Amino acid sequence: MKVRSMITRTFPGNFKSLEPISDFIVNRAEEAGFSAKDVYAIQTAVDEACSNIIDHAYGGENKGNIEIKIQNSTGELRILLYDKGEPFDPEDIPDPDISSPLEIRKERGLGIYFMKKLMDRVIFEFSPSEGNKLTLIKFKGS
Amino acid sequence: MEFTLTKYQNYSLLEISGRIDSYTAPKIDNVLHALISENHGNILIDLEKVTYISSSGILIFVNAQKSLTRKNRGKIHFSGTSELVHSAFSLAGFTGLFEFHENTSSAMEVL
Repeated sequence: MKVRSMITRTFPGNFKSLEPISDFIVNRAEEAGFSAKDVYAIQTAVDEACSNIIDHAYGGENKGNIEIKIQNSTGELRILLYDKGEPFDPEDIPDPDISSPLEIRKERGLGIYFMKKLMDRVIFEFSPSEGNKLTLIKFKGS
Repeated sequence: MEFTLTKYQNYSLLEISGRIDSYTAPKIDNVLHALISENHGNILIDLEKVTYISSSGILIFVNAQKSLTRKNRGKIHFSGTSELVHSAFSLAGFTGLFEFHENTSSAMEVL
């Protein structure tokens, strides 16, 4: 697989950053040739990931930055999100049971459920020196 | 995100434009809470100009709907929802909780 471009941007870890982050992601996903539906899916996955970083890894706004690397290759778009917050593994949170009656549904984990449903790969890694690294991959033509 | 609120006799119309995400959802949440506590009945929310909705955005509508139902004060109706925004409600499994209308005119006929 040939890498066509790699772009890195850093945003302050607050909810106001979500719109410029989305603009950044949408532009890159459109350049990579994804359909409007896939662009929206990628935008949603990254938005949910960043909201989770602010809420769960940093435990609030303005505690640190979110670094985003986007690698556009021939067969996929790979988005890497780095933060220096507490270790946060999305796999620790169970999927919401979307078939249970609406009145008793517990909604925790909906953002992660979105990420997993909308992307082809969601990979979480943590190291004490690098912090959290979340990799989101969308295959082209999938 | 911007919104306009118009109160009619039988319902309230909330027209929203832009993004509903973790930054803007709390502002909409405040408006909905105020409407429900003031007992304004059905709430028609025009999403035609909404370009994006996150899970946090969907959940404020879910919680408002539950609150309305619990107090027996009406329902949330949506109009003008784009295919992409509707797909988020669908993915979350919440389409059955709300009434979706093609546009505000068709919604107003049943309110």
